[in-house]
Amino acid sequence: MKSINIAKNNFLYVVILLLWVMAIGCDRDDFQKLEEREWNLVWSDEFDGEAGELPDPTRWAFDLGTGEGGWGNAELQSYTNNPENVSMDGEGNLVITAIQDGNTFTSARIKTQGLFSQQYGRFEARLKTPYGPGLWPAFWLLGDNIETVGWPQCGEIDIMELRGQEPHIIHGSIHGPGYSAGNPVSKSYALVNDRFDADYHVFAIEWDEDKIDFFVDDYLYQRIENTDVPGEWVYDQPFFILLNVAVGGNYVGFPTGQTPFPQQMIIDYVKVYEEVK
Amino acid sequence: MKPNILIRFTQLITAAAFLALLAGCERDITDLEEASFPTNPEVFIDGFSAGLNYAAFGGSVPTAFSVDNDVTYDNSAASMRIEVPDANDPRGSFAGGVYYLDTGRDLSGYNALTFWAKASQSATIGEIGLGNDLGQNEFVVSIQGLNVSTGWKKYIIPLPDPSRLTQERGLFWYAAGNLDGNGFTFWIDEVKYEKLGTIAHPEYAILNGEDQVETSFIGVTKSIGGLTTTFNMPTGINQAVSAAPAYFEFVSSDPSIATVDASGTVTVTGGPGNVEITAHVGEVAAEGSLTMQSLGDFEQAPVPTHDPENVISIFSEAYENIPVDYYNGYWEPYQTTQSADFIVEGNRVLNYTDFNFVGIQFTSPTIDASSMTHLHLDIYLPNPLNAGAEFNIEIVNFGEPNVSGSYTIPIPVDQAQQWISIDVPFEDLGGLTSRDNLAQIIFLDESENIPGFYADNIYFYNDGAEPPTPDEPESPAPTPTHDAANVTAIYSDSYDVIPGTNFFPDWGQATVVTEIQIQGNNTLRYQGLNYQGIELASSQDFADMDYLHLDFYTANSTELYVYLISEGPVETGYTLSVPTTGWSSVDIPMSAFAPVDLGGVIQLKFDGNGDIFLDNIYVHKE
Repeated sequence: MKSINIAKNNFLYVVILLLWVMAIGCDRDDFQKLEEREWNLVWSDEFDGEAGELPDPTRWAFDLGTGEGGWGNAELQSYTNNPENVSMDGEGNLVITAIQDGNTFTSARIKTQGLFSQQYGRFEARLKTPYGPGLWPAFWLLGDNIETVGWPQCGEIDIMELRGQEPHIIHGSIHGPGYSAGNPVSKSYALVNDRFDADYHVFAIEWDEDKIDFFVDDYLYQRIENTDVPGEWVYDQPFFILLNVAVGGNYVGFPTGQTPFPQQMIIDYVKVYEEVK
Repeated sequence: MKPNILIRFTQLITAAAFLALLAGCERDITDLEEASFPTNPEVFIDGFSAGLNYAAFGGSVPTAFSVDNDVTYDNSAASMRIEVPDANDPRGSFAGGVYYLDTGRDLSGYNALTFWAKASQSATIGEIGLGNDLGQNEFVVSIQGLNVSTGWKKYIIPLPDPSRLTQERGLFWYAAGNLDGNGFTFWIDEVKYEKLGTIAHPEYAILNGEDQVETSFIGVTKSIGGLTTTFNMPTGINQAVSAAPAYFEFVSSDPSIATVDASGTVTVTGGPGNVEITAHVGEVAAEGSLTMQSLGDFEQAPVPTHDPENVISIFSEAYENIPVDYYNGYWEPYQTTQSADFIVEGNRVLNYTDFNFVGIQFTSPTIDASSMTHLHLDIYLPNPLNAGAEFNIEIVNFGEPNVSGSYTIPIPVDQAQQWISIDVPFEDLGGLTSRDNLAQIIFLDESENIPGFYADNIYFYNDGAEPPTPDEPESPAPTPTHDAANVTAIYSDSYDVIPGTNFFPDWGQATVVTEIQIQGNNTLRYQGLNYQGIELASSQDFADMDYLHLDFYTANSTELYVYLISEGPVETGYTLSVPTTGWSSVDIPMSAFAPVDLGGVIQLKFDGNGDIFLDNIYVHKE
């Protein structure tokens, strides 16, 4: 088992450091000192397959088709398990490709449902997003009990969502009973003079019984505590992982004639850790 | 400018060498970099940046640009105000100019030219960019058709390859015309160069990203166009900018077959063989390629030999060509034919590929080819042929209605890959009933056997022959000029005639005789002549007459005789020259009819074949 140490945050410390950094204009990574935590890697996929290979069937399953009502969001794409929509690139990445064919779109959505789920821990992915109006990539979690209690009672943790027309902003959110769909608990994180499709970034949450912390490149930009939600806290059960690229839908709007296609989300790895107490 | 650079450069080297000596290090002078230029990113913030000049384009309103202290972005001190003139403004037809430096700047550390802009109404600025230095314009970049609204908005012009801009003098330029005849005003502010992390994914293309394949020959030159650079903007949409060839490095896969120069001009130098021309910008390969399949030496079409006086030329280097609307109309939706014309050793050759049909049009003006007899063209079919290939030509005369004629040439298999000279006589173009308003030549491949062809020397000509005689005269016979006092007429509207003549005696002949009127003039018509007599009412004394006059016309007779007959009968024929070109007038000496008794002529007779028109039959004295 691989283990890493990541500092646990100390907000006072952060604030002081923030002020200090604002004063001298130093890089943010130099100041955000978080309390140390020890993690054990329990599940991962480095996507080291041959070019054109589908995702490892022992780790990933597919959502296929157009779902009910465009997966509940009026999304336009149809999900497939064709290598042209989802396959390894032979260089250590999984590539999910959204393809336009006239007015129809194909893409892919993969999930660990039924294969892997975990309660609490660190969930992270290193990836490059697609871009362009109407593109909606996501790295997210759903509660394992979705089959029995339904959504949003099962809970949803969106580690990374992006609107392709704003390629420099990602959003971290949770959806639960009383705070779902257009009204989640959410926060955005924007890059200054950079964008998420230009290079790889690491998107992560660290989740325990009290809170969920959201990170971009190990920078904590949002903490949601179990007392912060305007409804029931439904995050004390195992969640499974999803990765997808949607096209269109309520969240992002339609693609336009100026949206470049095809579009790719390139995923270097997905890793899940549990905390060593 | 150059001397300045040299002086500065020399100074720098001297100073550096001196420093090096002082420091006692072993630095070599050759390690020194070239003189560097200022990296100041500012073009116009609240006024001209250091060293900036403005020059208006020729033909533009010289005063279109001014500095505005009232309308500015973010309440800054000043903006650039551009007034685009109305149509027909006597001062100039558009607004346009260059903001340039005398000495260059090093812009290689930036990746975009940015500015804020707004306009007095929603408007489109024709072209705006950088790299115009009033000189070579080597690194010109522009956005064509930039839409500007009435609110301030930031615009970004990405730099295709900043590393090339180490001493750029053309910092900014624009050209804008009126909107439907109406002028407008636009303002530009905060013009500067920036290093933006929010533009990404540069893509480069030659030939608009297409992979083109062409058959070619030694000596062919071709310019690679469609050079674009596309960046993804902060809004996630792509923005294309047009970029000068100097940003692209063109590469030939086999310079022994074809070379390509820095401007993207390809010259085929060898063959047979294939060569691929590609390009890259910096490290990034451009989309699109040109594959030249060189067949080796090019065989030029035969040089035309027709006298230029007798030629109306559509496409030939041998003659002066009339104005042509197009050599390929790209007629939608069914035409597949593309054009890939080329120039070999200065001679342009039309090259039609993916051929199904293609039209050449010339309507400014149309051609009056009434005095021409043929269409000529040379074609070359570069692909091997299957049996049964046919090349179809259609010529269209505009009018009410349009008329056209078609001509089909079978192309034997062994005629491929060589020049074929085609001469189409107008008389073989059934349906082309007039050619005084010719407007189109259409080539078709109805056999679906000819994938493409080259064409050269397309022209109409007169082969020197008089135009063929129509089956029927369009005008009456010429009016006779002999003095009526000297004339005894048998058939004519111009003279009193001997009364009582029978022009339709039944001698058992097959000839059909009718009298017709041509523009009101009575004319005798013999259709299907074998023989035909004319019976005078009584015996006539022509002894003191010198000539028999006749006007005759025939397009199709090959044998024709006229006879005088006296009692006996005694008859003698005289050979008439047929067919005629228009009306033919003869004055036959009466002595030619010996031994006919000229004192007692009772009949005339025509013998021969074909359709004959007759008028003004009379005898006269000198």
